[in-house]
Amino acid sequence: MSDRVRNFPLLAAELMPQCEALAAQYEERRSALLPLMHLFQSREGFVSPEAMRFAAGFLDLTPAVVESTVSFYTLFYRKPVGRYVLQVCRGLSCTLGGAEDVMAAFREKLGIGNLQTTDDGLFSYEEVECLASCDRPTCMQVNLEFLYDLTPQTVDGVLAAIRGGTSGVAPLPQTERPGKTWAVRQDTEVSEGEKMPGDTGVPDPNNAGGLGDRTGLIALDRIVNDDAALLGRSRERTVRDASAIDAVIREEDRAHAGH
Amino acid sequence: MVCNCDEAEPGTFKDHMLLENKPHLILEGMLLGAYGIKSNHAFIYIRGEFKAGYEIFTQALAQARAAGMVGKNIFGTGYDLEVTVQRGAGAYICGEETGLLNSLEGKRGEPRLKPPFPAIAGLYGMPTVVNNVETLAYLVPVLQKGWEWFAAVGTERSKGYKIVSVSGHVQKPGNYEIPLGTTVREIIEIAGGLRPGRTFAAVQPGGGSSACIFDEHLDWPYDYESMSKAGSMLGSGAFVVFDDTTDFVKAAYNLIRFFAHESCGQCTPCREGGHWLEKVLHRFVQGRGLPGDMEMLLRVSSSITGLNLCALGDSIEPFLKSVLVRFPDRFEARVQGRQVAGVR
Ligand SMILES: Cc1cc2nc3c(=O)[nH]c(=O)nc-3n(C[C@H](O)[C@H](O)[C@H](O)COP(=O)(O)O)c2cc1C
Ligand code: SF4
Ligand code: FES
Repeated sequence: MSDRVRNFPLLAAELMPQCEALAAQYEERRSALLPLMHLFQSREGFVSPEAMRFAAGFLDLTPAVVESTVSFYTLFYRKPVGRYVLQVCRGLSCTLGGAEDVMAAFREKLGIGNLQTTDDGLFSYEEVECLASCDRPTCMQVNLEFLYDLTPQTVDGVLAAIRGGTSGVAPLPQTERPGKTWAVRQDTEVSEGEKMPGDTGVPDPNNAGGLGDRTGLIALDRIVNDDAALLGRSRERTVRDASAIDAVIREEDRAHAGH
Repeated sequence: MVCNCDEAEPGTFKDHMLLENKPHLILEGMLLGAYGIKSNHAFIYIRGEFKAGYEIFTQALAQARAAGMVGKNIFGTGYDLEVTVQRGAGAYICGEETGLLNSLEGKRGEPRLKPPFPAIAGLYGMPTVVNNVETLAYLVPVLQKGWEWFAAVGTERSKGYKIVSVSGHVQKPGNYEIPLGTTVREIIEIAGGLRPGRTFAAVQPGGGSSACIFDEHLDWPYDYESMSKAGSMLGSGAFVVFDDTTDFVKAAYNLIRFFAHESCGQCTPCREGGHWLEKVLHRFVQGRGLPGDMEMLLRVSSSITGLNLCALGDSIEPFLKSVLVRFPDRFEARVQGRQVAGVR
């Protein structure tokens, strides 16, 4: 498989028998959606729009349903990532064991922040939740292979081993050059106090009236003002979800009109 | 029948250990469990991050299939059982049983409204039993040695063994199998005790979702009843120990950030409340708490509890409330303009 050239139809044809076998495992074919996305990601390095469209056709779903589902899961990268995805645990037990210093060391040595990729496309970096290895802090994954007992002093060694090809971890395929981040919805970086671009703090029209509705709770009003990023996040999610639903309805309307 | 191996409760690492080291035990438990309820299709849902575990389990399954333990007409009994291994893809909420079932159906892993419970209408609308890895693994020795063996240890009402995942400020963190009813102090000692020169501050006895317990509970038995009487719960058996060096403000921020991050977003109190708390707590972490914020933390967190589709929403309050009520001075010291010398 030549790495930088993507020929999706060829790949789909090659993987078709595997896809059929996956779908045959279930009482309902739709259950094969996550396995299919894992399969294509393992070959393309990310879940490409072509792969999502293919899955939609293959499982008889609308593209909007597939995209909405895929977007729910953080391990599906919807944009290209680096050859090595470094995921350092920021969970409580690792933090008690010094994870903050390890994360600072990675950020410094790589020169990038959370959810970013180095310019050479080699490393993507993410700070993740508890990895169920809390007895050996700080732990991390490199392309989902576990590394344990990290300290700021061992960070250099990890990066050197990967660069030198002695880490024993296989690189991910890279069929497209990664951009600065693969996050489609950039996680609100509260720790840096950043605001989402374009955020004005206008209340979310889609909000049902809970805590996020500034007319709802006066006590919280002042937080709304200085925490526009928070609203921005929930707004983006509701808006995106609504557009997915719209798309489904439109598809269905079209199907009905055809009858 | 579904085996839940999505382990992601902060501080829990027993299923991960069992998956990588005892895949045959889990599989055998699944086969016995499925046979017990006359299910013809068993699934194991493995957390997406457990790539090695997934590969190990898949291998164990192939061995079992080759040995005629899985498939059609097992050992000539006429009983058919298919086993399917499913990988998650990064979402804590898929550990919640109905979120898991939705995910297994190829949907977003959003929990369902209950009732109906999975045992009535679960996967594809069919009756489904969802059990944890440890639960199913224990089926094997219990059936081998008899229930009397299992029930011989433990307390009056909490019988048997439990794997406790001990982490945090102890010298030998790890998974320890204990009879239920072992005291909190004993568990800390089994895990090597505190580091030299440190004193005990608190234990979170049941994973990220549980409230802290303190000095006065050190000699309490670790069992379901006592932990709930102490205002907490045994939960997943994750046992996180905090010594006197702990920054509880940061710890609370850390856990609240987790829940805010993992909320699936269906319920407004859980989705919005978690993020508010995260923002306010972040102010405290930076020493910029505002007067009245402490009361607000309590008020907002208590108004999240009980109003949600699943237990994630109700997991937001306990730890925060327990440390805020116990160590108000630590929070007070982070209110703007009230910095006290020597605060970590
Ligand atoms: C937010 C949330 C996350 C959960 N995560 C897990 C998990 O990772 N593993 C698990 O076995 N149970 C988890 N559960 C509990 C399951 O819903 C279910 O109760 C459990 O799998 C039943 O197993 P048991 O009765 O054998 O203990 C979670 C529950 C909630 C509310
Ligand atoms: S309580 Fe939170 S995680 Fe659970 S269903 Fe509601 S929004 Fe989702
Ligand atoms: S906190 Fe890092 S593995 Fe659990």
